[in-house]
Amino acid sequence: MAHAQKIVGRRAGDRVILGAVIFLAFLWVVPVLWVLILSFKANSELMLSTGSAFRLPYTLKNYADILASSGVFRWFFNSVVVASLNTLATLILASLAGYGFARTEFPFKNVIFVLVLLGLAIPEQAVIIARHQMFTDWKMHNTYLALILPGLSNAFGVFLMTQYFRSIPMDIDEAAMLDNASRFKIFWRVLLPLTIPAQATLGIFTFLACWNDYLWPLISATKPEMFTLTVGIASTQTNFAQSEGLGFLMAQAVFAGLPVFIVYLFFQRYIIQAVAGAAIR
Amino acid sequence: MKILSTILLAGAALAGGVAAATAADKTEISVSRFFGACEADYGNVTDVAKANGECGIITALINKFNADSPTTHVKVDIVEWPGYDQLTARIRSGEPPTISVMHEAVISDYSSRGLLEPLDKGFKAVGVDTADFTGAAKAGVTKDGQIYALPFDTHTWLWHVNLNLFKQAGLVDASGNAILPKSADELLAQAKQFKEKTGKPYFVSTLANEKAFYYRTFETLLYQQNSNFFADPTKISLVTPEAKTALTLLKTIFDKDYTTKNEDYAASVAGFSNGEGGVFICGTWLVNSYDEEAKKPGVALSNGYAVAPFPQLYPGSPKVWADGHSWVILKANLTDAQRKSAYEFLKFLWDNDFQWSRTGHLPTSQKILTSAEFMALPFRKVLSPLAQNGTALPAGVKRQFGAQDMEGEEIAAAMRGDKSIDDALASAQDRINTLLANAK
Repeated sequence: MAHAQKIVGRRAGDRVILGAVIFLAFLWVVPVLWVLILSFKANSELMLSTGSAFRLPYTLKNYADILASSGVFRWFFNSVVVASLNTLATLILASLAGYGFARTEFPFKNVIFVLVLLGLAIPEQAVIIARHQMFTDWKMHNTYLALILPGLSNAFGVFLMTQYFRSIPMDIDEAAMLDNASRFKIFWRVLLPLTIPAQATLGIFTFLACWNDYLWPLISATKPEMFTLTVGIASTQTNFAQSEGLGFLMAQAVFAGLPVFIVYLFFQRYIIQAVAGAAIR
Repeated sequence: MKILSTILLAGAALAGGVAAATAADKTEISVSRFFGACEADYGNVTDVAKANGECGIITALINKFNADSPTTHVKVDIVEWPGYDQLTARIRSGEPPTISVMHEAVISDYSSRGLLEPLDKGFKAVGVDTADFTGAAKAGVTKDGQIYALPFDTHTWLWHVNLNLFKQAGLVDASGNAILPKSADELLAQAKQFKEKTGKPYFVSTLANEKAFYYRTFETLLYQQNSNFFADPTKISLVTPEAKTALTLLKTIFDKDYTTKNEDYAASVAGFSNGEGGVFICGTWLVNSYDEEAKKPGVALSNGYAVAPFPQLYPGSPKVWADGHSWVILKANLTDAQRKSAYEFLKFLWDNDFQWSRTGHLPTSQKILTSAEFMALPFRKVLSPLAQNGTALPAGVKRQFGAQDMEGEEIAAAMRGDKSIDDALASAQDRINTLLANAK
C-alpha cells in the first residue's frame, strides 16, 4: 500500500516536472516561432501592425532578397571557413595544452596555469584595440588568419580539457606504459578517445561562438568580400529596419541561425552526452 | 538546344569580358555607405526616378553613375548603420574607403584629427556651388571655416498629425486644418481636450529603447527659448531655467498620460498609423510612408494625415533639432586620378540631390529647395523652411552622438520619475562635460 502510494506520488511529481518543462520549453520556443512567422510577412504589412503575422498572405520575398544580395554566399563561405578552422585548431591546441597541464610536470606549471585561467576573466573588449593595432602592424586585416588566430587563445578550452584529463584515472596511463606505449601514443590512442564528450562540448561552443562573433570581424574584416555572415547580413539592413524592414530583419535572423540549428540537429546526441557527462563529473 | 546553350554561354562570357574590360579601364574608387542593400529590387536600375526609399535611390544613383561615367567606377562597400566603428577601424588599418557617408554631427570628430580632406577647392574646380548650400547644410559641413563634406540632406523633427482624431477632438479649423498649439500651456490644454474627446493620448512617442526622441525634442524646446546651451563647444550648460522649463513640460506630458508609453521605435511608428494618438513627433523620413498610408481607405489615417514643423511653444527662435547625411573624402594616399574621380562622383550626387529629397529628407541645395518639382512633392511647401531652421549642435562640439545619448538617458530618467528634474539636468551636464573634457 505504502509502495503504491509512493509510485502515485512519484508519478504526480513527474507530471508536475513535465508540465513545468513543457511550460518553459513553450516560453523558449514562442519568440523563435514569432521570428519565423514574421520572416514570411511583407515588410509593409508589418510596419502597420505585427498582428498581421497571423493572417494571409505570406511571402518568400524576404528570403529571396537575402539570396539576391551578391555577397551572401561569399559571407556564408567565409563563416564556414573561419568557424570550422577555428574549431579544429582550438580542439587540437586545447587538447595538447590540457594534456600537458594534467599529465606532465614542467617548471612553473602552476603559475602558467593560473595565467591561462586569468584569460577567462579578461573580456575581449578590453584587449581589442591592442589586438587591432597588432594585426595592423602585421598587415593582416581582411585575411582569414586575422579572423581565426585571436580565437585560438581559448582559456576556457584549456581549462575544460585540463579538468577532463585530470578526471581520467592515472591507472590507464600506467597500464599503457606497461605495454610499452610512448607518451604520444598514450595521448593519441588511449586518452584522447576518452575525452570525446569534452571535445564535443568544446567544439560546439567554439563553433557557435565563432559563428556568432560580430565585434572582431566587424573591425578586422572591413572589405565586403571578407565579411563573415553576421557582419555581411547586418550591412544589408536598411536604416529603419526595425520598423520598415521587420520581415527582412527576421528572415536574416533565420538565415543566419539555420546552420547553427542544423549543427544542433545532427549533434544533439553528443551535446546531451557532453553536458550530462560534464555534470556528472 | 545544345548549340543554342553554347552560343548563349559564349555570348554571356563575351559580354562579361567586355564589361570587365570596360570597368578595368576606369579609375576605381570605393564608397562606404549605410542605407542597406536592395539588389533584388534595384540591382540593375539606372533610371533613378523609378527608385524609391533611401536604399533604392542611392543604389540607383550609383548604378547610373557607373553606367554613365566614362572614367570612374564606384565600388560600393555597404556597412551596418551607423558604421563608424568600422570606418575608424579601416582608417586605423590604413585601408580607408575613398568616400564615406557621414552624419554631419560626426564630422568634427574626424576633421579635428585631420582624417578628412577639406573640399572647398575641389568643389570649386568641379562646379559644386557652395553658395547654394542651405543654411542648415552649410553649418553642418563647415568646421573651422572649411568645408569637409558634401551635404546630401537635412533631416529634422516634425509633428505628424492624425487629422481624423484631431477632428474628433475639435482641434481643426473651418478648412479642416489642424489647430496646433502656440504655447506650452495651449499644448497641455489641447492634450487634455484631446484625451477627453477621443479617450486617447495626444502624443504617440518613442520612449522605449531609444534616446533620440528625448534629446531631439528637448534640444528643440531649448532652441525655442533661445537657450545657448553650447556657448562654449567644450562645455554644455543644462542647469538653466530654460532646460528646467523644457524638461518640466516633457514630464508633465508623461505624468498626465498625454502620451503613449513603453513603445519602441517600431511600435510607435505602427501605433501612429493605427490611430493610437493624435501627434507623432518624429523625423522627415516618415512623411512619404504616412502620406501613402493616408491614401488607403478604411485605415486610421485615411484622408487624414498632415505634417507640420515643430510648433513654436516658446517665444524664441524657430530653430529645431537637425542633422544631415553628407559625403566625405577620407585622407589617404589618393592618386590624382582617384581624387578627380572622387570629386566627379560628389558632383554627380550634388546634381541629383532632388532625387534624394524624394526620400522625405530635405535637400541641401537652395535651388532645389525652391524648385517647382520639389514643391510638387507632398507637404514639401510647409516643410521647406526647416532647411534653414534645422539646427545641429555647434561645429566645435565633439562626440555629439555620445553627448546626445547621455542627454537622452537623463531626460528619460526624469520623465519616468527615476530622478528629480534638477538631479537629471545636473547629471546630464556633468556626464557630458566629462566626456567632452576627455575628447581629443
